[in-house]
Amino acid sequence: MHELSIANSVLEAVQKEMTRRPRARLTKIGLRIGEFSGVEESSLRFCFEVLVRDTEMRAAVLDIERGQRDELDLSYLEVEEDEPDSH
Amino acid sequence: MSQIPIERKVLNANDAIAATLRERFLEHDILCLNLISSPGSGKTLLLERTLERLAHDTHVAVLTGDIQTDNDARRLARSGFPVKQITTAGACHLDARMVETALADWKLADFELLLIENVGNLVCPTSYDLGENSKVVLMSVTEGEDKPLKYPGVFYKADVMVLTKIDLLPHLEFDDALACENARQIHPGLEIIRTSARTGAGLERWVAWIETRLHRPAAA
Repeated sequence: MHELSIANSVLEAVQKEMTRRPRARLTKIGLRIGEFSGVEESSLRFCFEVLVRDTEMRAAVLDIERGQRDELDLSYLEVEEDEPDSH
Repeated sequence: MSQIPIERKVLNANDAIAATLRERFLEHDILCLNLISSPGSGKTLLLERTLERLAHDTHVAVLTGDIQTDNDARRLARSGFPVKQITTAGACHLDARMVETALADWKLADFELLLIENVGNLVCPTSYDLGENSKVVLMSVTEGEDKPLKYPGVFYKADVMVLTKIDLLPHLEFDDALACENARQIHPGLEIIRTSARTGAGLERWVAWIETRLHRPAAA
């Protein structure tokens, strides 16, 4: 039920990171979710898809691994970086 | 393709506010408890009875969260202690920002105990740190014994479980030993206090649990 707020927090964290990398295109978001975190994976995926549907992040995949206990962490981002313009 | 390590908590914006609250509570020697349960487990009644039983010189304030209505705040305000309703307008949990906002016009130095009644929900409030010293989980005997197994997060994070409505046990097939065993399977050693707000059973122990945690200077 609160997965929408959680998805939004993920999105905000990712956006913050991506503004520092204007040339990068996001391909994957790594999350770690523990069994006591109170977050349901499929619900989080659904909410995240809805949030990014009309953004440049819509192609990004959520890579969710089982974390320890109550972990709810953003572990990594995977990006494709455009080559610096050589002209 | 390159991987950028981030390694941060998803809710670190909430956690940062919660950390500030925790510092302020510590600075003013305030014990803050965050009460979490399913809707209808008896949080408000337990609080009403708690407020009646606390020593009269206890400086206590209450925040109560609900999606709609200020019914609970009106009930609790009869105690004469400062009570404020947080209406979340749809949100299924309180977050640290809501608590910070609700406390803005209270002078924390006036209090030694802050009781927060979270929105009735066993799942979502678990994820949001409010700066509390302890989470308190309530479970009533009209719920299933396997509730701790179905919703482990809050039982894992709580420092105490209050089993409520035990006056109803003779009328139910609820196996309270099994319920406690399930809770301790998730949280070994979890302290469990069996109560009935109606008959008063166990309330003395519950109030003592709170009072021993107040940050009062040791008697000279």
